[in-house]
Amino acid sequence: MTGLRKRVTVGFLSIVCLLFFSGMVSLLELGHLSRDTGEILKANARNIELAKEMLDAAHEQNMALIRLSVFGDRSRDSLCRACMDRLENTLLVAQNEALDKSFLDSLAFATTELRIVTDNYLAYGDLRSGDSLAVSKNRPAGMPDSLGIKWYNDEYEALYGRLTAAIKNYMTSTQSSLAPRAEQMKKNAYRAVTPVLISVAVMIAIVLMLFYFMSLYCITPIERMNKSLGDWLAFRIPFTVKGDLKDEVLELKERIETVINQSKQPKA
Amino acid sequence: MRVEVVLRYVGVVMLFIAMFMLLSAGISYVSGVDSAFYPLLLSSLLTALLGAFPLIFVGRCEQITNKEGFCIVVGAWLVACVVSMFPYLIWGGEFTLVNAWFESVSGLTTTGSTILNDVEALPRGLQFWRFATTWIGGMGVVMFALVILPSMGRSKMMLSNVELSSMARDNYRYRSQIIVQILLVVYVGLTVLSTLLLKMAGMNWFDALCHAMSACATSGFSTKNASIAYFNSPAIDTILILTMATAGIHFGVIYATLTGKRNNLFRSEVTRWYLGMLLVGGLLIAVSIYAADLYPTFGAALRHGMFQFVSLVSTTGFATADSNTWTPFAVILLIFGSIVCACAGSTAGGIKVNRLVLSGKMMRAKLKLQQHPNAVIRIRLDGVIQDNEVLHAVMIYIVAYLMFILMGTIFGTMLGVDLTTSFTGSVASMGNVGPGFGEVGSMDNFSALPSGFKVANTLLMLLGRLEIFGLIQIFLIKWWR
Repeated sequence: MTGLRKRVTVGFLSIVCLLFFSGMVSLLELGHLSRDTGEILKANARNIELAKEMLDAAHEQNMALIRLSVFGDRSRDSLCRACMDRLENTLLVAQNEALDKSFLDSLAFATTELRIVTDNYLAYGDLRSGDSLAVSKNRPAGMPDSLGIKWYNDEYEALYGRLTAAIKNYMTSTQSSLAPRAEQMKKNAYRAVTPVLISVAVMIAIVLMLFYFMSLYCITPIERMNKSLGDWLAFRIPFTVKGDLKDEVLELKERIETVINQSKQPKA
Repeated sequence: MRVEVVLRYVGVVMLFIAMFMLLSAGISYVSGVDSAFYPLLLSSLLTALLGAFPLIFVGRCEQITNKEGFCIVVGAWLVACVVSMFPYLIWGGEFTLVNAWFESVSGLTTTGSTILNDVEALPRGLQFWRFATTWIGGMGVVMFALVILPSMGRSKMMLSNVELSSMARDNYRYRSQIIVQILLVVYVGLTVLSTLLLKMAGMNWFDALCHAMSACATSGFSTKNASIAYFNSPAIDTILILTMATAGIHFGVIYATLTGKRNNLFRSEVTRWYLGMLLVGGLLIAVSIYAADLYPTFGAALRHGMFQFVSLVSTTGFATADSNTWTPFAVILLIFGSIVCACAGSTAGGIKVNRLVLSGKMMRAKLKLQQHPNAVIRIRLDGVIQDNEVLHAVMIYIVAYLMFILMGTIFGTMLGVDLTTSFTGSVASMGNVGPGFGEVGSMDNFSALPSGFKVANTLLMLLGRLEIFGLIQIFLIKWWR
């Protein structure tokens, strides 16, 4: 490669390329990092939202069943079924969205158990023995149904407890499953910084080299030429410039020598 | 000294290394763009830019002074170690700054020690890069670049003279240009042959190539956590024993043997000593471990004993067994092998058999001189009379070598490392062997050791690879007239 301008331009272009390159790398890696962080936060929020929905549905169904079984309020039938459907639908959504489905197995089992017991009660609750039904029908208004309480205590309460425990377990387990992703994010953060640091180190080395070469091939020869030319003009000391001269600097030196030689020749 | 000329030629070596990084990125791409692709590609670009930059300003230089040549060689080794860290650092995983430096130096100096607990977890591209560093280092960073890159005229001769020690040049009767070509032919030929044999013995192509590169460079890197023990194959063990033993012989002697020249394998005194040492040492270890009931049959004891001894003497460092559990006699023989190592002019490190033979002859001469004070005794090696200057250099080298091992041991114990680990770690690093004993045994690695110990060991590796005085001189360059 020849030509001072060309050399310096290529040198600077290399630095610009490296700057651009390291900028792009950091943008790319930070983009990855941002996306991962967003995904983790989104998954976290969604998990809490689904767990809340399930807990709400279970709670409402529980309240409706208490009204139905203890106080014989048949108007709660449909609410009970609606809550059960809501719970199951939310579970289905959670199963579709979950990264690790193993956390949902116990929850699905508890929901199915609850569904069977509730459906049985809703379907066959009125087919209790004649005596007990008579007892139930003859009780004064506002008084609790002792058979209903017994059913609730013996069959339903334990299942309800198991379901809420499974929902809470789903909530905490899913949170803990986010830890490896957070660890991966930490690695990505390291990867986002390292290439940039290496690029900066390489850039520093290149800038130092550029400074050295500019000094060696441009600044120092020009300084020497200037000094030597000054010495010639002031004291007529012969014009000599030592060092490895290249391109236009070499041409400049040769032209100065030509001018000096011409000025030494006697005028015609 | 012209710094710009040094920068130019170090830059040329960087371009050469960038080429291998790109090749590793290619392997990564072929393996389904694994997680190493991007770090390797990025490292390749950065290294290429760093290497190409001086070429913009500095033109070709026909004449290089001795001092410049020396700075180019040592500078290229040091810068190569630095840029080789880039893929490891960018990839992350177990590679911290110290770990990446250790792996890089260990690879280029063909030591083969590692800080990785799970080598198999590395993506294929990065695995290949580890083996590429070791293969480049096996022949010598500068020497390899000299062969591949376009002619550099007289400067090529100067650089090859600096890279090759005087002892390594002894067996060559050719010009520098030819020597470099011979080295390449033998090195590449041995690698190709070994790859084919390992493939036939049951390895897959990738493992076969990687282990062949590692064996020919006498490095000891493996693609498996359990090293060669993973394959548990007598055929693979036998092929690797032969490859490692051959890689420990002077390449000029191998070339002379293959081309029917006079200075061949059978006439070389040093090679005879080397091969004799391998046979006797391997047998003694086999007898020792068989007598201690460590192996059910003598055949199994011979297989493992011979493999471990050849592996350590050739400075490879592959393992088929945990030699930490062997008898003290076997252990001390292995340590002796790790100090002496193979022949000059091979890819091996260590004191070298040449120096051991010469020092033995000097001792014999000293005894004779005491009996006959007026006798004129000439010391010959392979029939060539050795100058007093050479003999003097041999003794100085051995003393300096042992002194650095001692210093490494003292430093290690100072950091709280136990004596066995510290001493054998220093021996293994100085000789570019790889495994030692204790916490750095054949089935262990350097990961759990203090960072200071790791850095000290990388210095020992570089000292061993650059034959001690090479690296020391760079710090005294200012006073070099």
